[in-house]
Amino acid sequence: MTETLPTSPAPAEITEYTVRTIDVKRVYKIGGETVQALKGVSVEIMRGEYISIMGPSGSGKSTFFNMIGGLDKPSEGKVYIDEVDIAQLDSYELAWMRCRKIGYIFQTFNLIPVMTALENVKLPMVFAGMKDADAQDKAADILKRVELGHRMFNKPSEMSGGQQQRVAIARAFANDPAIILADEPTGNLDLNTGTLIIELLRQLNKERGVTIISATHDYKMLKVSDRIIWIRDGRVDKIQKREDLNIQEGKMEGADGEDAH
Amino acid sequence: MSPLAPPASVQRQIALPMRKAVEIAWKNIRMRLSRSLLVTSGIVLALAFLTSINVSKSMVDSMRDWAATAALPDAREFSDLRIERDRLEKSTSALETDIRAHTHAAITPARPKQKIDATQILGQELPALQKEIGALPGTADDLAVAMAADAKIVQLFQSWLEQSRALLIVRGKISAPQSLQQIMKESGVPTTPAEIENNRIQTRWLLGLALLVAFVGILNAMLMSVTERFREIGTMKCLGALDSFIIKLFLIESLFQGVVGTLIGILLGVLLSLVSMLSTYGRFAFKNLQVGEIGVALLICLAVGVGLTVAGAVYPAWQAARMQPIEAMRADT
Repeated sequence: MTETLPTSPAPAEITEYTVRTIDVKRVYKIGGETVQALKGVSVEIMRGEYISIMGPSGSGKSTFFNMIGGLDKPSEGKVYIDEVDIAQLDSYELAWMRCRKIGYIFQTFNLIPVMTALENVKLPMVFAGMKDADAQDKAADILKRVELGHRMFNKPSEMSGGQQQRVAIARAFANDPAIILADEPTGNLDLNTGTLIIELLRQLNKERGVTIISATHDYKMLKVSDRIIWIRDGRVDKIQKREDLNIQEGKMEGADGEDAH
Repeated sequence: MSPLAPPASVQRQIALPMRKAVEIAWKNIRMRLSRSLLVTSGIVLALAFLTSINVSKSMVDSMRDWAATAALPDAREFSDLRIERDRLEKSTSALETDIRAHTHAAITPARPKQKIDATQILGQELPALQKEIGALPGTADDLAVAMAADAKIVQLFQSWLEQSRALLIVRGKISAPQSLQQIMKESGVPTTPAEIENNRIQTRWLLGLALLVAFVGILNAMLMSVTERFREIGTMKCLGALDSFIIKLFLIESLFQGVVGTLIGILLGVLLSLVSMLSTYGRFAFKNLQVGEIGVALLICLAVGVGLTVAGAVYPAWQAARMQPIEAMRADT
């Protein structure tokens, strides 16, 4: 990307956190063995930030990612999404939160195969109880925004991977969420398409001031991120800012990260 | 582009109106037609079986009841026929006596010695009539001679012939219950109360097994359909679907399939039993047909079919509903 991107919000603007975790631990029982996936993670993510979560497989990255997406609850510690402790929510409140506050983007796109692009984008609004005509208009608008105005009535099977992922992005933005959670959004896409998707996410992030959190292995993604959270062995290894990253592009080692601990 | 809303406290997700669930379920069925047909074909076969057994049973029962009451000596149905029969018997026997007397009178004075071909005078019908009516008023040869001698005898014989034929028809009508019972006996239909009871227990076992097989088939197909859609369900949950919505989705889907499959099955079953009844009992098939009873049986079949399909979907739907949204994140499912 050649354009100059704004840096993280200035300290004066940081009045609220979108996501905040305090000493989050997560223990799984597999068979008779207990596995500590997270061993105490404290992270604060500000509104409008573009965050990448990096880490090798088995590092607890996925667990942490699911935790801040309201998909998993901590065994110990607190997770606040929009200043709400998710452990306190019942299933109705969690569903409301997933519907209105969080937009999910998946590696495998996860469009509903029997629905057209427009119907897929409408679905979260339907779940939110929006009137059909309003949902229709809004879905069409968002699809036009992701440059898929001409594919509205196509089924996922009739679209390319990049197009499917753009529909998925449109769907994630349907209810104007505070957080977009993207799990390896470029993992199933070729290099060019992946770059376009990352660019689109970055644009939407700026346009709408939405917080984007993505788990990724894609170094292209790191270049647009405001901060990168490295998870290793169930802990935050380091947190890097983009400015620090740009100095040693591609080589992550030795970059100056602020440690969470 | 809308600005960010200020952080609000969490609210509770609303349940969607049924119309939405129906809409989405309908879309699912249309798109996954082959899977739907698989579920539906099981229920079609089971219901065709159930319906044909029930309808045939009702028809056989009605026929048996009719045969049993009509076969009684004082059955009202045949009172007119019986009077007619008595009249015909009387008149034929009177004619017989007449013919005998005339024949005797005609033969005695001049008994010709020549051999006469009786069929030439009495007609080709004679051998058959001899077989059916048994006794002719006199031997064929004597009759032939007498008729050649006296035209009056020819007249008498012809009216005897006519009345005998009518008598034969009336007797056939009166003995219809007996011939129906004969057909039933030959085709192995139970007739005694003990046999009927025994047969009913056997049939129930058979039906129970057929329905059980259909139920397991539906359960299996629905479970497969849930497993196939794990990621889709997880995604829907990520988008804000409530457990109850997922349950509704699957139940409505099975309801559609149940209604369509059951209706086709019932149609097939009715056709099957009509064909088999007509081929076995011919003109007796619709004797004493209990339309109301069959109608009730069909309604029960409809309820059983739809109920079975929906019941088969309950466990899979529950399993789908309790699935965690996190499943949607798994790339390997």
